Amino acid sequence: MAQAQSRVIVNQAVAQFDGPNGPVTTESNETLVGEDNTPLRIVKTADRAAAEPGDVVIYRILISNPSTRIAAPLTVTDQLPRGLRYVPNSVQTTPQQPTGQTLTDSNLTLTFAALDPGASISVAYAVLVTPDAVQGDGRNVAQAAAPGFAPVTAPFQIAVRPGIVSDCGTIVGRVFVDRNFDGQQQAGEPGVPNAVIFMDDGNRILTDPDGLFSLINVLPGYRVGTLDLYSLPGYTLAPNLYRIEENSVSRFVRLSPGGLGRMNFAVTPTFGEEQS
Amino acid sequence: MNQRQWIGWGAIALTIPGAGLAIAPALGQSALPGYGLRVTSPLDAPVAADDVLTLREALELANGTLTPTELSPAEQALVEALPPGQGSQISFALPEGETTIALTDLLPEIVAPELVIDGTTQAGYDAEDTYDPKFPPAPAVTLTVAEGSEVARGLTIAADGVTVRGFSIYGFRTEDRATQTTPPSDIFVGKALPVDSSPLSLEFDLSFLEQSEDAPRGVVIEQNWLGLTADGEFPAVPSAFGVTVFNAVETTIRNNRIQYHDGSAIITGFRADGSQIAENAIIANGLAGMPDAIRLEGAIAATAITNNLICANDGSGIYLYKPEGAAQITGNDIQFNGRRFERAAVYVMGSDHQLNDNFIGYQPGPGVAVTAFPLSHRNQIRGNRYAELDGLSIDLNTQGNTGVQDFQKGDGPNPPRNSYHRRRETGNAAINAPQFDRYDFTPDAAAVTLTGTADPGSEVDLYRVNETESAYSPLAEPLGTVTTTAEGTFSASLDLPPGTRVSAIATDPEWGTSEPAAVATVLAADGTRPELPATPMERPNCSPPAPPPPPVEPPAPLAPLRLQIPRNIHFALDRSNISPESAAVLNQIAGAMLEYPFLTLELHGHTDPRASAAYNLALSERRANAARDYLIRQGVPPERMRILPFGLTQRRTQGSSRIDFARDRRVEFIFTDLRGFDIIFREQETDLQLE
Repeated sequence: MAQAQSRVIVNQAVAQFDGPNGPVTTESNETLVGEDNTPLRIVKTADRAAAEPGDVVIYRILISNPSTRIAAPLTVTDQLPRGLRYVPNSVQTTPQQPTGQTLTDSNLTLTFAALDPGASISVAYAVLVTPDAVQGDGRNVAQAAAPGFAPVTAPFQIAVRPGIVSDCGTIVGRVFVDRNFDGQQQAGEPGVPNAVIFMDDGNRILTDPDGLFSLINVLPGYRVGTLDLYSLPGYTLAPNLYRIEENSVSRFVRLSPGGLGRMNFAVTPTFGEEQS
Repeated sequence: MNQRQWIGWGAIALTIPGAGLAIAPALGQSALPGYGLRVTSPLDAPVAADDVLTLREALELANGTLTPTELSPAEQALVEALPPGQGSQISFALPEGETTIALTDLLPEIVAPELVIDGTTQAGYDAEDTYDPKFPPAPAVTLTVAEGSEVARGLTIAADGVTVRGFSIYGFRTEDRATQTTPPSDIFVGKALPVDSSPLSLEFDLSFLEQSEDAPRGVVIEQNWLGLTADGEFPAVPSAFGVTVFNAVETTIRNNRIQYHDGSAIITGFRADGSQIAENAIIANGLAGMPDAIRLEGAIAATAITNNLICANDGSGIYLYKPEGAAQITGNDIQFNGRRFERAAVYVMGSDHQLNDNFIGYQPGPGVAVTAFPLSHRNQIRGNRYAELDGLSIDLNTQGNTGVQDFQKGDGPNPPRNSYHRRRETGNAAINAPQFDRYDFTPDAAAVTLTGTADPGSEVDLYRVNETESAYSPLAEPLGTVTTTAEGTFSASLDLPPGTRVSAIATDPEWGTSEPAAVATVLAADGTRPELPATPMERPNCSPPAPPPPPVEPPAPLAPLRLQIPRNIHFALDRSNISPESAAVLNQIAGAMLEYPFLTLELHGHTDPRASAAYNLALSERRANAARDYLIRQGVPPERMRILPFGLTQRRTQGSSRIDFARDRRVEFIFTDLRGFDIIFREQETDLQLE
C-alpha cells in the first residue's frame, strides 16, 4: 500500500452481451485510485450573528482549491432558510466573474469556468430578513462542487429575533355559569371571577370580575388551555348538550399569526368532589 | 369597563334570536282527568297490568300517559275518578315494612297540574311526633335509588301547583362518566333536563326557558326529609343537591329537613322568582361540592328566606351569586357554617336585599359580606344578632376589591369615604360606619350619653357587644335606634351598666347599611373600666329540639380531660381513602367525640412534599374530607368538625426517606375543649402506610 500511494491506478470495467443486433460492448467510466484527491475548501461567514426582520445580512463565501488539479467548471450553490430572501444584483465575486448565475427565491447558483490549484474565489451577497424568518431556523448552507471533487458544504446559522414586527396572536375567552348547557353565555348567565386558566406553555391566567380574560402575544400555532377547577370551588365544567366537543376539559385553538382565538369555559355547580 | 360591557352585549345579541325561534312546547296545562290513586307496591317495575299499583304507574296515570282501562281490575280498584277540575291525589298504602321505594330509573316528569303526592297518608306516619316545625316528623315513605342503580333525580316537577309532602328522599346523584352531568337532585323543579350530553339523551329544546309563563308555578315541597334516611342517618350514597329550583316561579319549600348533601341544600338555576323558603332545617350540606347551604342564582325577584335553621354547612349559609332581583332574609338562625370554606355567613351580591332579625354566628368569616362588584346597593341589614365571627358583623367590600378572598371573606374594615367615587366601587355605596366621639364614655347619674358622627340623614342602630377580642367584635344585641341630624351627629341616652361595650351601624334608605363602628366602652362613674364576666362559648348544636322537659344533665366534672386516643391517621401515596387501620383509629376518635359533647375537632389535612403545591392542597382537602365523612357516618355531629387543608406546607418530618414521606401523609385531629381546659394526648402511627 505504501508504494501504491504515489501511483495512480486506473480502473475501468467492460461489459459484453448479445443484443438483438449482435454482440455489444459497453465500457464504464475510468476511476482513478491514488490520485491527488484533496477536496475543495469552502468557508462561509456573515457580517452578523443575529438579525431581526427588516435587517440585511451580508454573507461571504470563500472557495479555495488546495489540490494540484484544476476544478473546472466550479459550481457554487447556496440554499437559504425560510424567510430569508436574496437582494437582487447584490452578488459580487472576486477575482473572477461567474459565467452563469441562477437566482430563485431561496436558491442561488453560480458557475465559474475554472478554479486553478492554489487559487480562491470570494463571493459576497446580501440577504433580506423577512418576518417569516422568525419561524425558520436561520441555518444557511453553501455548497461547492466540481467534477472529480467531492462536494463540500459550509453552514452558517444566524439567530433570528422577533424584532419589533410580531406575528403573535391573541386569545380571548370567558368562564361563566351555564344555565341552559349550550356552552354560550346569554343574559342571566354570570361570569365567574378569579377562575384560573392554564395554557400549554405554563401561562396562568386569571379571569376578571366579569369572568372574562384575554391573553396577548400568544405564539401562533396550536394552543391548548384548560380550566383549573380548584380555583373555583363548588363548580365543575358544565355538560354541553349540543356540541360533544365542548365537553372536553381543555380547549384547543389553532391560532394563525396575528389571529384571534377563543376559549370559553361553561361551568355548573358541582357535587361528588370526594371521589379521589 | 365600557368595553367589557360591549363584549357582553354582543354575545347576547348574537345568541338570543337563535334560541327564540323555536316554539315552546305546552307544559301539560290542558285539562287532565283527576284521579285519587293509592300506591300499594314499593317496587319499581315497568308499567304492567298486575295486582299492585306502583308510584311509577300512579304518576303516569296522573300525567295522562296511562289510562285506567289499561290496568288490571285489581289496580282499577285503587284508582278513583275525581270530579273534573280537581288535580290528582296520590296516597300511599304500602305493606308494613316495605315502605322504601327504590328506583332503578328516572320517574316520569310530573306534568299534571295540582297533583298532590302525600307521603303522610301512609299508615305509621305520626304527625304529632315533632316539637319544632323545622324538624318535621319522620316520613313513613322513603324514595331512594335501588342498590347498584344510578338515578339522577328523585321527583321532577314541571306542572303548576304540585305538592310533595312527607317523604324521605335521598341517594340521587350521578357517577363519573365521559361528560359532566346536569345537576342531579332529590327534587328538581322545572322541565326535565337531559342528564348528560350522550347521544342517547333526550332531544332537548331550550326555548322554554325564555317563557316565564311556561315555568311551573306554585309548587309546594313540605314536611320532607331530603338527603337523610327515615331514621335520620347519613345514607350510604349521599344525594348531590337537595332542591334545585331550576325554572319555576312561586315555589314554596317549607318545613323540610335538608341534610347531608354533597352540594347545596337549595340551589336556584335559571328562574326562581317568588320562592318562599320557610322553616326548614338545613344542616350539614355542601360536604363535597358547592359548599353553600342556600345558593341563589339567576332570577330570584321577591324570594323570601324566613325562619330557617341553617347550621353546620360547609360554606356560606346563604350565598347570593349575581342574582337578578332582591331577596328577603328574615328570622333565620345561621350558625356553625363554614366547616370547609372560610366564607361569610351570608354573602350578598346585588341590590335591595333585606336581611332582618337573623341570628348569625359561629362562622370562620364575617357575618354579612356585601360585594363591591357587581354594584350592590341599598341592602338593608338591620335587627340581626351576631356572635363569634372571624371578621366584621357586616363587611362592605371597598375599592373595587375583587380578589379571591373578597368573594369569600370580604376585606375587613373600610376607611371613611374620602371621595364620591368610593360610592361606585364599594358595597352599599360606601356608606360610612358611625364613629363614636370617644372610645369610652362616663355615665351621668342615671344614663350614659353616647355621641358620635354618621352620614347625615341615616339611622343609627346601637348594639351591645359581648366579646372582647377586637375593636370590631360581633354585634350581640340591638339597643335602640337614633336618627342623625342634618350635620351628621347623633346622640343617645341609654341606661347601661358600667363595662358595657357598644357599637353601631348606620342605615340610609338610599344607600343601605354600613359596617359597624369601632367599639366604645361605658366606664364606671369613677372612670375605671370594670370587666364584665365573659359569656361562655356555646357548644355547636344543630340537633332537633329535645322533647320537653329537657333531661337534667349531671354537672360535668370540671377537670382537664385525659384522652388516651391517637390524633392522626395516615394515608397511602396519592390516596385519600381510609384504610382499615385508620378506621380503627377514627373509631376511637368518634368514640371520644360522642362521649364528651364539649369537644370540637379541626381536621388538618397534610401531604408529603412531592408534586405541586396546588395538587397537594386538593389532595389534603380530600384526605380531611374523607376522614370527616367517616366520622359523620359514625354519628359525630358535623357542626363540631371543621376542615383545614394544608397541602405540603406543614410536614411532619424533615427527611426524604419512604418512612418520612409516609409520616407526612396524614390528617391531624386538633381537639378543643370548649370548657377551656387543655387536653392530654399521645401520638400514634400504627396505621402508617409505606409506598
